[in-house]
Amino acid sequence: MFTWRLGLYRHCQVLTSTTTTRSGWETDVTELFVVITVIAVALIFDFTNGFHDSANAMAGPIATGALRPRTAVILAALLNLVGACLSTAVAKTISGGFFDDALITAPIILAGLLGAIIWNLVTWLIGLPSSSSHALFGGLIGAVIVGAGIASVHGWVIVSKVLLPAIVAPLVAGIAAAWATRLAYRITRKTPSVHSNTGFKYGQAFTASMVALAHGTSDGQKTMGVITLVLIAANLQATGTGPEMWVILASGLAIGLGTYSGGWRIMRTMGKGIVEIETPQGAASGAATSATILASAHLGFGLSTTHVSTGSILGSGVGRDGAEVRWSVARRMVFAWLLTLPGAGLVGGLAALLSDQGIPGVAALLVLLTAACLVIYFMSRRHRITHANVTDSHEVLVLAAAAPATTYPDDPRLEALPTPKKKKKKNKRPKERSAA
Amino acid sequence: MHIDWAALGVVAVVSIVSSVIFTILLAGGIRLVSVAKIKSNEGGSGTVTVSMGYVLIGIAGLLVLYGIYLIVPQFH
Repeated sequence: MFTWRLGLYRHCQVLTSTTTTRSGWETDVTELFVVITVIAVALIFDFTNGFHDSANAMAGPIATGALRPRTAVILAALLNLVGACLSTAVAKTISGGFFDDALITAPIILAGLLGAIIWNLVTWLIGLPSSSSHALFGGLIGAVIVGAGIASVHGWVIVSKVLLPAIVAPLVAGIAAAWATRLAYRITRKTPSVHSNTGFKYGQAFTASMVALAHGTSDGQKTMGVITLVLIAANLQATGTGPEMWVILASGLAIGLGTYSGGWRIMRTMGKGIVEIETPQGAASGAATSATILASAHLGFGLSTTHVSTGSILGSGVGRDGAEVRWSVARRMVFAWLLTLPGAGLVGGLAALLSDQGIPGVAALLVLLTAACLVIYFMSRRHRITHANVTDSHEVLVLAAAAPATTYPDDPRLEALPTPKKKKKKNKRPKERSAA
Repeated sequence: MHIDWAALGVVAVVSIVSSVIFTILLAGGIRLVSVAKIKSNEGGSGTVTVSMGYVLIGIAGLLVLYGIYLIVPQFH
C-alpha cells in the first residue's frame, strides 16, 4: 500500500481513514487512478493558466500593433516554454502558508485544481483578468475547509497574501506606468510619431517578452511542483528529487499551448477594454509591468502578474492626457479579484466532497469537469473572440440575449448595447453548480 | 499578523524608479535619433546626436538584459 505523504511528509488523515478499510490491491488501483487524474488535471490547469495570463504580457503590444496577434502569442508561448524549462526548482510548498502543509493530499490538490480551472474558465468567459495563483490557492483553501474545517485556514495569511497585494499591485504598477507615460509623452512631444512609434514598439516588444519569460519561470514551476509532489507521495519518485524530464516538458508545453491559444477574451479587455492604448503608453506600461514583476519576484513581496499588468495599463491611461479610462471595467475587475478566492474556494470545496470518494468520486469529478468545460466553451462560441477580431471592439459579450446572435464585433448594434452586468452574474452560478 | 512593509516599500520604490528610468532612456533615445534624422534631411550633420540617441537606447537595452539576467535562475 502506498503511504500518502505530502508537504511535510506526514501521514494524511483524510486518505488513510478512507483507505485502511480496503484491501491493499484495491487501494493501489485507487491511488494510481487518483495520481493519474491529478497529473492530467494539473496539466489542464496549466493550460488555463497559460491562456488566462497570455494577455498579461501581450495585450499591450497587440493593442498598439507592436506585434501582430499571432506573432505575439507564438512568441509568448515559446518564451513561456523556455521559462518553464529554465526554472525547475520545484516550489517547496504549494499551500502558500494558507494552511498546514500536512493537510495537502492528492484529493485536496485535485479539488483545488478543479476549483481553479473552473474559476479561470468563468472569468475568461466574461473576459476578466484574474490571478491564476489566487484561483489555485482559493480552490485548495475551499478543499481544505471541507476536509479539515475552517479553523485550519490561517485567516491573516489571506489578508497579507491576497487582499493587500491585490490593492498594492495595481497601485505600484499604476503609479509607475502613469509617471512613465507622462514622461514618455513629454520627452517625445516634438518628435514626429513616425519616428517615435517604431522605437516605442520595439521597447514594448522587448518588455512584453520579458514578462512572458518571467511568467514561464514562475507559473510553469507551479504545475511541476504539484505533479512532482503527487509522484513522490505515491512512491513513484524518490523523495527529495527534482521534477522528471517529462514533467518539465509536459508542464512547459501545457502552459505554452495555453498561451498560444491566446485567451483572446481577456486580451480584449486588457488591450482595449480598460483604455485605448497608444504606442508610448504601451511602452511605458510594458516597462512598468516588467519592472514591478521583477522587483516583486526578487525583493520579497510577491505580487500577482495579472494584477501588476492590469495596474500598469490602467496607470498608463491615467498618465496620458485625454485618455478615457473605463473605470467601470476596472471596478468589475477588482470585484473579480476579490471574488477569486471565495469563488474558486466554493468550487474547490464542493469538489472536495467527491474527490476523496475513491474511483467513482474522482471519475464523477472528471465527468463534471468535462461538462463544465464544454458548457463554458459553447457559451464562448456565441460571441467568439479570436486573433482576428481581438482589437475590433472593447467589449466581451457573453449572452446571446445581449446582442443578435450573428453579429460581427464591429457591428454598430453592439456598441449601442450596454454591458449587461446582472446577466453576467446570473450566468456564473449554473456553471459553478455544474462543476460541483 | 505579519506584513513585510519594508519589502513592500522597497518593491514599490524600485518598480517606480526603474520603469521611469527605462522610459526616459527609451523616449530620450528615440527623440535624439529623430532629431538627428530631421537634421540630416535638412542637409546638416546629426552624427553626434544620433550616436547619443543610440547610447541611450543601448543603456535601455542593457536594462532589458539585466532583467533577463534576473529572470533566468541559471545565471545566479
